Amino acid sequence: MNFLNPLLLLGALGIGLPILAHMLNRFEVKHTDWAAMQFLNRSVRVRSRQLKLRDVILLILRCLALLLIVAAITRPATKRQNGLLAGLGEKRAAVIIALDVSFSMQHSDGTRTRFETALDKVDAIKEGIRPGNPVTLVLLGTEHRVVVRNMAFDPDEFDEVLATLEVTSESLDIDSLPRLLKALAADMKAPQKEIYIITDMQEHDWKPRSTWLNDSFKDLAKHASVFVLPVAGGTENLTVTGLELVSGVLRKGTSARYRATVRNCGVSVAQQVRVSGLVNNISADTKIIPSIAPGTSESVSLFLSFSDPGPVRIVAKAEWDGDKLEPDNLRRAVAVIRDKVSVLCVEGTSGEGGSSGSLITAALRAGGSSKGQDDLDVESVSWVDLPAQDLKNFDVVVLADVPDITAEQAGVLERYVRDGNGLIWFGGDYVKADVWNKRSALAGTPLLPAVIEEQMRTGDAMGIGRPLDPSMTDHPVCRPLRSLPEDLLSETRFLTLLRVKPTSSSVKVLTLAGSDAPVLLEHALGRGHVFMFTTTAGSDWNNMAVTPVFPMLLQQIVTYLTAREFETPRLVGDSLSLSYVDQPDATDAVFDTPSGDVITVPVRDYRSQYVALLNGAREAGFYLARVSLQAAGMPVAVNVDTKESTIKGMSAEDTARSLDGTGVTIVRSNEAILAASEEASPARSLWRILMMAGLAFFVIESIFAEMISARAAKGKAASA
Amino acid sequence: MTDHITQINYLDPELLQKLGDLELVAREVVEGLRVGSHRSPLRGFSTEFAHHRQYAPGDAIRDIDWRVYGRTDRYYTKLYEAETNFDCHVLIDASASMSYGSGKVNKLEYAKFLAASLAYLVLKQRDSVGLSVFDSEVRTYMPPRSAMGIIVEIDRTLREIIPTPKTTVAKQLHDIALMMKRRSFVILISDLLADVEDIMAGLDHLRFDGHNVVVLHTLDPYELEFPFKGTWRFEGLEREEPLTTQPERIREDYVTNLDKYLTALRSGCIGANIDYKTVDTSRPLDGVLNEFFAERATTLNGGAVGARQ
Repeated sequence: MNFLNPLLLLGALGIGLPILAHMLNRFEVKHTDWAAMQFLNRSVRVRSRQLKLRDVILLILRCLALLLIVAAITRPATKRQNGLLAGLGEKRAAVIIALDVSFSMQHSDGTRTRFETALDKVDAIKEGIRPGNPVTLVLLGTEHRVVVRNMAFDPDEFDEVLATLEVTSESLDIDSLPRLLKALAADMKAPQKEIYIITDMQEHDWKPRSTWLNDSFKDLAKHASVFVLPVAGGTENLTVTGLELVSGVLRKGTSARYRATVRNCGVSVAQQVRVSGLVNNISADTKIIPSIAPGTSESVSLFLSFSDPGPVRIVAKAEWDGDKLEPDNLRRAVAVIRDKVSVLCVEGTSGEGGSSGSLITAALRAGGSSKGQDDLDVESVSWVDLPAQDLKNFDVVVLADVPDITAEQAGVLERYVRDGNGLIWFGGDYVKADVWNKRSALAGTPLLPAVIEEQMRTGDAMGIGRPLDPSMTDHPVCRPLRSLPEDLLSETRFLTLLRVKPTSSSVKVLTLAGSDAPVLLEHALGRGHVFMFTTTAGSDWNNMAVTPVFPMLLQQIVTYLTAREFETPRLVGDSLSLSYVDQPDATDAVFDTPSGDVITVPVRDYRSQYVALLNGAREAGFYLARVSLQAAGMPVAVNVDTKESTIKGMSAEDTARSLDGTGVTIVRSNEAILAASEEASPARSLWRILMMAGLAFFVIESIFAEMISARAAKGKAASA
Repeated sequence: MTDHITQINYLDPELLQKLGDLELVAREVVEGLRVGSHRSPLRGFSTEFAHHRQYAPGDAIRDIDWRVYGRTDRYYTKLYEAETNFDCHVLIDASASMSYGSGKVNKLEYAKFLAASLAYLVLKQRDSVGLSVFDSEVRTYMPPRSAMGIIVEIDRTLREIIPTPKTTVAKQLHDIALMMKRRSFVILISDLLADVEDIMAGLDHLRFDGHNVVVLHTLDPYELEFPFKGTWRFEGLEREEPLTTQPERIREDYVTNLDKYLTALRSGCIGANIDYKTVDTSRPLDGVLNEFFAERATTLNGGAVGARQ
């Protein structure tokens, strides 16, 4: 026999109280001489003895009642299946049902979805739960949600809860599952605890389990009987894994090239896959992928044109007849189309031929149409004219070989970037490193992403510079360069660079081949970004400005800098934030969900910025972030996590092998669920019978005592 | 005599002050005893005119008041009242059971005060008073005397009483009855904690000898109400077997037994023409005596003399 609350057994010491009271009463005898002994005659003496006996009976009843109630409170249970105790006890098991609601459960085999099959399993589990037994229902996703916690089981009430359940757009986070289930089990009071995990057991979740996770399941199985109920389903699925802007400037009247990547997660070859690009829900481009082999991805370019300025919702949609899972067929992105992009180019050189300013202007306008050129305004000024410029008129400022700036200018530039604009900095012979370092460090976060040290020669003895490292980072700026032929990339040579010491917040975007010396660094400052070239924009230190790399890189940087925070797509489960430059008037920001709900989020002061943070986007689609209920919103694209798209479940053998030794039982059929539960040697709870017996003894004792006192009162009244 | 009184233990001057008013009442009681159903058992030495009554055949000729006849031509006889030469004998039960008292004064002490007070009142009326003390046997017999000096003797005797367990009451009452030479007014002060039949046998003897008997049944309030709470051990004063019990719970039985006993005793007294009064020792002595005399007077004015509570 075991006790759920063994410490409460100390309550049995309470039995000493009535005994003590009885003994005190007995031993605290007062003596008196008495004359009228003739009235305390034999019958009175007999009566007195009867009363003593009655007292003892009352004491025994009271003690028994107390003992039984204390025993009941300790929640005793026996695992014996035979004998009186087993006969009196009732099977009492706390049941936790962990139901996978990740979007893969929406996959259909043509007749039923995995989720519907999972609900059938829940019904089968319900059959074995006795009314009143504690039940917990937890939905598994990116963030597991407990929808029913420790509820006394009521079939009707539970069915009502089940009827409201839906598959989410989330993926399954299995790592946090054992710990959560253990905590939930610990929270439940029952001699027997059963945990049923109903999931489609996707390979990518369950197969590559770490030792740590295996140990967690093993530990969980020590605290409860754990059953895994795999839900079988189809295998075919296509998913759009990516939608990226490859090239183009996001300006009104221009086109941009987006790349949509479609992956075949199934086991059959997907043929004639139709991929559509939609701008604001209107089809803008469609491509057909002839075939995608199982387990491979194919990319298509979608050319999307933007006729109007403002934020646009871009969707890449894959369609294939064999696909049975919808949520991952869409990939969403948001682009803010600008009416015009203005770039201020500040030159530190004298402005003679081949100056950096003209090279930058030429690079930014390269490849654009005449109309496009109108939409890109590049203004070059000498560095001495910088104080006279109103930076509000420009989206990006380029500082090329500017010797130094005043502290006031540094403050203006920092504020300019923090407001969400972009700054591109080029080195050169005129740059006064110590002054720049000093000015850059004036603010809390440095203006530049690195501390400038000194010039260094990177060329060899032959005077041939070193090329860029072709293994580039996944930075968006590098994307167009990746598509360049390697020989073209290797023609870009660098003879001199500034040796720099990157700050902790900076990212190396481009480095020199064969060394870790950064050519281009980037860091975020407020809502804007700063790019820092450790070389010149002119051809003094390199030949980059006269290669195709320069216009591609510069245009991509400008596009990147003029992009807005929300253009970056998020995944379901990510947090969405809305940041403010100044303290807003409204204390709350508003997020409209794709399903039309409105979520109000308070604006908080975070590192001297005002931010409204929506924790964990739960739906896939376009959210709308608004600074207030009345304000126009900025769409935010939220996509499903496509790792969940690999819907292939583990085979029976793999499952058995995978869970071998963990103590977890695999139950495949609904019919086997009850049998498995019985095999788990269900403990029989005795608390109810003990509590009832205890209360019965109390009632008997009370009635007995009442009868005695009533009789005494009657006698008293008679004698009065 | 007042000087004596201050030296006497059982005659509290303050109490006597209160009892002063009782003198007349007491006298009336005594007279009532003579003319009422309890006629004075002794012939008086002198006569005192009381009132006239119209002559009726059979009346003694010598009692006709000739002076009245001379004035009115009618025969009236003179009626005289004899002044009693009254003997009062107070019997005190000094058995061990009388030593019980829940308050400051036990039953015996109370009985002593009661006896002394009564003796004083009788002496004040120029009547004779005697005292007997008994327990398992008659310890003291003091024949009635009318000299005031006897009060000192009575006080000394009362002081010397040592409670002793008794066996019966009847035997002692028989013995006392044999010692009493003249018919007297016998006042028995006792808790009468014995067999009712035994008690009645003793009392009957006194009655049969022509004594006028009054029983002052002294009981402690605790004996009447049995108000004990908790667990008590009762040690018998008359060497009975002790009893440990929770009195609250046997009170019902105790009270039933007590009532049965009192009823039997009272009925016996009524049957034997004996005055009976229960005296609660928690009550002030003057109040008890006052009430006793008032009841006696009421009885004399009309009702038959009988046992009263």
